[in-house]
Amino acid sequence: MEKKTMHKPTNPTESTGVKLGKSFGSMFKRLFVREPNNLSVLEEEALQTPTQTIIKNFIRTRLGIVGVIAFILILLFSFVGSQLRPINPSYQEPAMSNVRPGTNYLKYPDTIVKEGVKNIASGISFSVALTNEGNVYVWGKQPVYRSAMSTSIFKLPADFPQGKIAQIAAGDRFWSALSEDGQFYSYGYNNFDQAELPQIVQMKRKTTPIKEIMAGDAVSGILFEDGEIYIWGSTLATRQDIVPLDYQGRIVHAEVSPHNVVVLLDDGTIGVFGLDGNEISAVPTQLTDGSIKIVDFTTSGRAAIALDSSGNIHPWGSIMHGVLDVPAYEGKIVDLIGGKNNFGLLLDSGEIVYWGANHFNQMDMPKEMASTKYVAAYSDFFQSYAVSESGDVTAWGHKGFAFGSDQFGRDNLTRLIHGGRISLTVGAIAMIISVIIALFIGLISGYFGGWVDNILMRITDVVISIPFMPLAITLSTIVTGRVPEMYRIYMIMIILGFLNWPGLARLVRAHLLLEREKDFVLAARALGVKQSNIMVRHILPNIFNLVIVNVTLGYANALLMESALSFLGFGVAPPTPSWGNMLDSAQSSSVIEYYWWRWVIPGLAVVFAALSVNLIGDALRDAMDPKASEK
Amino acid sequence: MLRYLAKRLISMIPVVIAITIIIFALVKAMPGDPAAMMINPALKAEQREAAYKAMREKLGLDKSMPVQYVKWLASTAQGDLGWSSMNNRPVKDVIVEPLRNTLVLNVFVTICQIAVILPVGITMAVKRGSLFDKFWQVFSLVGYSMPSFFIGMSLIFIFALKLQFLPPGGMPLSAFGKDFAYYLSWLKYMILPMLSLTIISIAGSLRYVRNAMIDSLSQDYIRTARSKGLSEKVVIYSHAFRNALIPISTIIIMSVFAMLSGSAITEQVFAWKGIGHTLVLALNNRDYMLVISLNLLSTMLAITANIIADVTYGIVDPRIKLE
Repeated sequence: MEKKTMHKPTNPTESTGVKLGKSFGSMFKRLFVREPNNLSVLEEEALQTPTQTIIKNFIRTRLGIVGVIAFILILLFSFVGSQLRPINPSYQEPAMSNVRPGTNYLKYPDTIVKEGVKNIASGISFSVALTNEGNVYVWGKQPVYRSAMSTSIFKLPADFPQGKIAQIAAGDRFWSALSEDGQFYSYGYNNFDQAELPQIVQMKRKTTPIKEIMAGDAVSGILFEDGEIYIWGSTLATRQDIVPLDYQGRIVHAEVSPHNVVVLLDDGTIGVFGLDGNEISAVPTQLTDGSIKIVDFTTSGRAAIALDSSGNIHPWGSIMHGVLDVPAYEGKIVDLIGGKNNFGLLLDSGEIVYWGANHFNQMDMPKEMASTKYVAAYSDFFQSYAVSESGDVTAWGHKGFAFGSDQFGRDNLTRLIHGGRISLTVGAIAMIISVIIALFIGLISGYFGGWVDNILMRITDVVISIPFMPLAITLSTIVTGRVPEMYRIYMIMIILGFLNWPGLARLVRAHLLLEREKDFVLAARALGVKQSNIMVRHILPNIFNLVIVNVTLGYANALLMESALSFLGFGVAPPTPSWGNMLDSAQSSSVIEYYWWRWVIPGLAVVFAALSVNLIGDALRDAMDPKASEK
Repeated sequence: MLRYLAKRLISMIPVVIAITIIIFALVKAMPGDPAAMMINPALKAEQREAAYKAMREKLGLDKSMPVQYVKWLASTAQGDLGWSSMNNRPVKDVIVEPLRNTLVLNVFVTICQIAVILPVGITMAVKRGSLFDKFWQVFSLVGYSMPSFFIGMSLIFIFALKLQFLPPGGMPLSAFGKDFAYYLSWLKYMILPMLSLTIISIAGSLRYVRNAMIDSLSQDYIRTARSKGLSEKVVIYSHAFRNALIPISTIIIMSVFAMLSGSAITEQVFAWKGIGHTLVLALNNRDYMLVISLNLLSTMLAITANIIADVTYGIVDPRIKLE
């Protein structure tokens, strides 16, 4: 057994090295800079302390270094990342659920600038542009999995009349187009037949020209020149298809909001139908009784703004995200634009005023917008586009989810970062708890022996005999039912810690017994060293290596345990993310098949973390036990 | 052998008693008051007070904890495990099927595991440093760093959803009688959970088999055997392997033990109606008597596995009998 004290260096330059060895700088130097030595081979061997040997051996194992680097990257990703990317765990955006990975929502093709933009409409993850030449361009990400029920939003069939398109509209997961000769086309999600014209519309189309087409959340609409509107699609819950009879024939403009249809009637009043009793259906009376003449309006997800003939703005609906607080502006309003949780005004000065929520960077407008004059602006869901006087297009808003979104429309990347912080912390604290218990029990057991040892080892037997997972989920249910939600995560750490110590405790005790019989202990005893000193200064350092290796491997195990527990729904409680509970919702085969990013990405995160820790542990073991590396 | 087994069994008794105490503590810690749940909710307040007292007396809840424990232990030992509120049947009838399903799955996995780790582990040790050795080392390193549900979900994705060879989960219905086709479809449903658990257990145990063989191959008696001119096959299989059997059997028993605990997750992923799956269902439905019984059952299975391990040691190592 090599001890620091046993090999006092004789060379004076080396003795200063040992003194400096306590400072970090010198340790660093020792690790990476080869010191000039003028010693013989034998002396050099003797001068290495066990710790130095271990570090040297560890650096030699390539896989161990890979593990260390990977683990540091994972730590940076989770702990630094969570500072850079704040999270609001309870914020949900159901409209954005299950969006596949991609950050190209705003990357419009340059051809639309060349041909001149006539209209841009956006869905949750894509945008469609109609150019002055009557061509349609689509960019972004396919919003739903392509099945028999839905078609690709990008691949247009050969009979699609490019160059002859008159109007476009985009719903949440599909878009529609109307050709110059009155043909209707629709691509994307079609589970509610919103892409097919109903019989009655097909009949009426033959006699009456179409004024405008609309698209909402799985709902399509057509407004005819004679002021009649038809809505179809997913209308069973909202009843947007039932148009009040006194509106039919008087409608000049309509917009579809998620649960309602807002219409502008020919007498300048506003009408709303669809789901009753929500915020948007409570229109202020002055907008409906004809006292104010409305010329234009637009809707957001749960609110609307209307422009009257004297240029004033009248907002109504949900106060959420501050969309009703119209900011101060100067000049005349040219156009109204409405995103999902935002509103905007295009003024005659060419300036764009935009306000509302900023969960998806909708408010992060590029700096050059302040100095540019715009002639048109379009905003839908979380993407906004503005066309300048020179015909250039400026895009701002939601770029997309790099790692996709989950069933509540939450960003997977943000949840992965914060979930990593939680998972790595829970695993670490659980492991620290179990190491403390294991050391305590193992050392006491091995040191005192006799009946103390007997009792402690029987307790260890008991804990080790109970299968971990069933007991862990049972305990989790009992314990977490009795503490407030916010303390649940601590309970998980304690449960994991209290169930994982027996293996290490047995190992510590066994090695303690082994070391106690070694000659250097006998020598120390013969020299009259106190029993407690023998324990602390002679035996413990020899077990320390073993503990370090097992702590490392145990940490990988704790990470896996936490993810398994959370996966079963008995670990970290949502909405607080953890790598395990991100997978909790991915247990159905449809999620596994269609929304792969929801389980592959957090699953791989656990694999990478556990693998890097295991690599470190294996390399440490090899470094500490020269015999092992021969294997 | 018998004496050794008897000695081991006797030494198990305090452990079993301690485990029953822990399980009893779990029963007592379960949320909800069983007496309050049993009385008629339509009773008036003053009547309810009396009925509650009477029910507590009837259920023995007014007795001291040790008395309650002894009574509970006695009724449990007689097979009275209580009433499953979720199934509205006695617990002992409910747990038969999950127990069978878990056992069948674990027996198949153990057979597959042994069939893989013995030949592969031995070859790894013999051809140390070869490409074969390295491949399986990487396999086991990656395998034991993977959460079991991730392996299960990947298998479902590949074999059930993309290739559509096998069902993604669940169990065959026995409504049409238990003929040959039924058992065949049973096997079809079992392949993926079996594969998933086998990968996990191979990854966890392969390196130990390899290391045990390497230790055994580096002993002096191997050199002796070689110098005697024995063929390499005899040296490896009847000298080295025979001596590596003790650590190997430990590893196999340990991994069976780990499987009993870990199969809860795999059963959940594949909707395999075993003990783990039923336990999650029972916990979500607050069927606490079933939860307790399943915990007791899995613990007893684990203890049985321990005893089988001891018997196996006695078989593979003649020296143990002498103790």
